[in-house]
Amino acid sequence: MTEPAFLVLAAVTVIGSIMALEARDLVYGAVALGVAFLGMAGLFILLDASYVAAFQIAVYIGAVVILILFTVMLVGPAKGEAQMELKRVSLLAAVLVATLIGMGGALASAAAFPGSDVCGGSCDIQSLSRTLLIDYGTQLELLSLVLAAAVIGALTLAKAEKKT
Amino acid sequence: MAEPFPDPIQMTLAIMTSPLFLKIAIFPGLTSIAIIAALLTWLDRKITARVQLRIGPQYVSPLGGILQSFADLIKLAFKELPLPEKADKFFFVMAPVFGMVLAGGLMGLIPFSHETLISNLEIGLPVFLAFVTLSPTLVLLAGWSANSKYPFIGGLRSLFQQTAYEIPLWLSAIGVVMLAGTFNLEKIVLAQSKGWFIVPQALGALLFLITSVAEQERIPFDLPEAEPEVIMGWQAEYTGFFFLAAQGAGFIKLYAFSALFATLYLGGYLGPGPLPPLFWSLLKTIGIVVAVILLRGTFGRVRIDQLLRAGWTILLGLALVNIVITYFIVVGFPTI
Repeated sequence: MTEPAFLVLAAVTVIGSIMALEARDLVYGAVALGVAFLGMAGLFILLDASYVAAFQIAVYIGAVVILILFTVMLVGPAKGEAQMELKRVSLLAAVLVATLIGMGGALASAAAFPGSDVCGGSCDIQSLSRTLLIDYGTQLELLSLVLAAAVIGALTLAKAEKKT
Repeated sequence: MAEPFPDPIQMTLAIMTSPLFLKIAIFPGLTSIAIIAALLTWLDRKITARVQLRIGPQYVSPLGGILQSFADLIKLAFKELPLPEKADKFFFVMAPVFGMVLAGGLMGLIPFSHETLISNLEIGLPVFLAFVTLSPTLVLLAGWSANSKYPFIGGLRSLFQQTAYEIPLWLSAIGVVMLAGTFNLEKIVLAQSKGWFIVPQALGALLFLITSVAEQERIPFDLPEAEPEVIMGWQAEYTGFFFLAAQGAGFIKLYAFSALFATLYLGGYLGPGPLPPLFWSLLKTIGIVVAVILLRGTFGRVRIDQLLRAGWTILLGLALVNIVITYFIVVGFPTI
């Protein structure tokens, strides 16, 4: 049942990642990265972790890809010397369409067979929040301290660069 | 004896008359989305005209020009599709079409009534908002791919605006989740049977309305497509069907966000009396739509610096305050 869906989504993720590295145009690279993230979100749905999938889309495509695109636009999107040829365009289009159909299929099958996940649908959020906030609360706080240290470090670096 | 192979015609008929297919194809799915988006275009023009002491569309049908937008739709759909020579053709074509598909996908999550809900996801609210976060990418790509000055400025403005207002949008919706104890949109509706969430969540509802209007890029937050400044911004190079898709996506988003507001704060399909739940949810949705359209006739456009400052400071701060207030409502005030 899930085998073809997994194969399609894995192929989308791998092809998207390869194109993210190989694309001549930075904008195409960023969008291909977004496609790879979409494929990963689909894989999370197959694993019955739809909550993680929603946040994969929101954080990685909604924030990370946007920030990459933003940086590319600020630096000045160096247009690739040649426009993408029709072959590569249609390849990317096929990848996009396949991702959409795969995501739709995964969501539809998750909605159509609610009994397929072990906890009956609602427990993944509750058990996830219990695990994160009660069982591993201290560790989570330590992780956020690491993030805060990273932000402060970035600010210091940016300021030092301004002075010189 | 082999298994009797099912008749293909019978199978097709069975699929086409299955409730899920009918819901996706007719209501609240594709057909109704197209018709309602066209009707909202008419409503938008008519109400704005009345606010400005004009008459608005009048000639195309006896009912106050209600068929005007369908006539426009047919006209736009049959126009030639010239692509700008220097444009990045793939993204130029993909962005508006993809945007309309995403906006239509939002409607699958809205519980207009128990029977017409397409996808009853346990995490309906985050999925809705996650789909919404995809739209600034598409708008930026649409503006960039046209390879022209004004579309690019409009795309960048849209990127700034939508990124700044996404975070307050999520945070203001969190209050409802805290009260209802679930992300499921239908359970959020059912949790309001004792009282609508707009009462304990008055601040959150106001923030949600403001940020969702900003996400829809409507006046007073329509900087990305401001005609006098950047001549329709990222839509400047679009004609014919692509313009139709870009505009249609805007109106479908208006419809979807209004329906989400009615679901989160106004009790969704709950309503008194013998009238069906569908009537109540559509009535509330149209009420919000009219309110948002009236904003267009009432307010002027804000500047980009005012918009960003308000988004990153005032709205974000108030959304956090709203979460603290909701915490005390849920847990109770501490007794000292």
